[in-house]
Amino acid sequence: MNAGQKMRTPLSPSDEELVLSALEPDQLAEAKKQRIPRRSLRKSELLVLWFLRVYLLFMIFVVVYQAWSGTH
Amino acid sequence: MNLFANLKTRGNFVITHEDIDRAHDRARVLAARSRGNWFSRFRLLWLLIGPGILVMLGENDGPSMLAYAATGAKFGIGFFLPFIVLTFVMAIVVQEMTVRLGAATQRGHAELIFERFGPFWGWFSMIDLGIGNFLTLITEFIAIRAGLGFFGVPPWAAVLAALALLYTALMTHRYWTWERITLAIAAFNLVFIPVALLTHPDWHSVGHAFASWQPLPRMEQDTLLIVLADIGATVTPWMLFFQQSATVDKGMTRRDVGFGRVDTALGAALAAAAALATVIATTPLFTHHMSAEHFQAAEFAQALRPLIGNVGASLFALGMVEAGMVACVTISLSSAYAFGEVAARPHSLNLPVRQGKAFYSVVFLLAVLAALIVLIPGLPLVYVVLVVNVIAVLAMPPALAFLFLLANDRELMGDVVSPTWANVLAAAVVVFLIAAGVMFGISVIAPHLFAASPR
Repeated sequence: MNAGQKMRTPLSPSDEELVLSALEPDQLAEAKKQRIPRRSLRKSELLVLWFLRVYLLFMIFVVVYQAWSGTH
Repeated sequence: MNLFANLKTRGNFVITHEDIDRAHDRARVLAARSRGNWFSRFRLLWLLIGPGILVMLGENDGPSMLAYAATGAKFGIGFFLPFIVLTFVMAIVVQEMTVRLGAATQRGHAELIFERFGPFWGWFSMIDLGIGNFLTLITEFIAIRAGLGFFGVPPWAAVLAALALLYTALMTHRYWTWERITLAIAAFNLVFIPVALLTHPDWHSVGHAFASWQPLPRMEQDTLLIVLADIGATVTPWMLFFQQSATVDKGMTRRDVGFGRVDTALGAALAAAAALATVIATTPLFTHHMSAEHFQAAEFAQALRPLIGNVGASLFALGMVEAGMVACVTISLSSAYAFGEVAARPHSLNLPVRQGKAFYSVVFLLAVLAALIVLIPGLPLVYVVLVVNVIAVLAMPPALAFLFLLANDRELMGDVVSPTWANVLAAAVVVFLIAAGVMFGISVIAPHLFAASPR
């Protein structure tokens, strides 16, 4: 039994009325299970993302080196 | 096209416990909005503040307050006062985008990256977040242990008390109650202001520093480390994930974006005040030429005791405990939200334990694991404290790239897509962060380039 099924408990009419009047359709927990379509990244965007990934890996290496040299 | 315009009608959905709790909170917001007088607007603000203040005060965490304390002790009043304000302006620019994203999509940040750009990039983001969050969580327990250690509390009792408080706050099973409890604890971050006043600051120097950004620090590796630590004390990846998820969990919608901005700016103002106060509070250590390198919370409080008295030193230590405690809650939650979003498990503070087992388990397991690591004797934890903010700054540009792409996605954002001015400011933040990181890298690889620079 999944979480969604567990939540199928009888609702009081006042609760149902409250939810329907106070929440927007996309705020319901069940609505959030709908998947958002994938977007393909442009070449320029991919280039930036890869550049930043390499930058991060290199800089982490620098931090590790600094910590290592600090301990020695 | 707005991707969310084609959702099925309500009749096709199961209404959950989480929906009912959120509907109660939203009903109060709608009632306050319908009245339209001044009192109602104030009440609306009261109802809608939360994620912004919590994320900003949450980021005034253990390592951040230590970074500010080290700044004051090493450089005194000068360049770093206006610089810290600048970092909070950057934080507002960045965090404002997460408010719009959360309100427009009703999805968390991790979920959006996974679904919009695919798991390849999604996992990169999650690994960055996971490693950064866990290292930071360890430092929060270090701050709590050190802060309570000032009062003679043994380490095991300190971390146990922190875990008990975390448990109490989460077991309310209501986002609203959790938020108000955590806000009340977070307000204690302002305790650094009376501590600063106890040092009888030189207000003329403070004014001069803001007007001129002087005196400038010497350009050397230690200075760049403090620069990066101070930036990492205000802008970090977990903040993006936390505020967007909290905005969704709170139930904020497009109509609330304006209040979300006010919430973010208010949080930044409060956090900046506490940060500046911490720098000012430890400035006497600089003027008395006391070396504060590798100080932890308790050492700062002990060093300040002869200068500001027992009360001031105790408040400083308590402030460190609070800083660690609030961040412990918010950072664990940002990990749990991200886990729930990626694993498609229910993830809300409105969930009863039975339905949110995985969500609450992640929060507690991470906290318990970090607490246990802190209790291992002999671990060189001081290095974790020193580098955690630096790692946060370095991980920020890749995180901001996804935020930038998402906030400019017209299909997702509709009428709250990023305007040009927001994009210019966000790009400036990214360039600034990369430049700071590169400068730091050069100072590590070629320290001689910086060591000889004149003051």
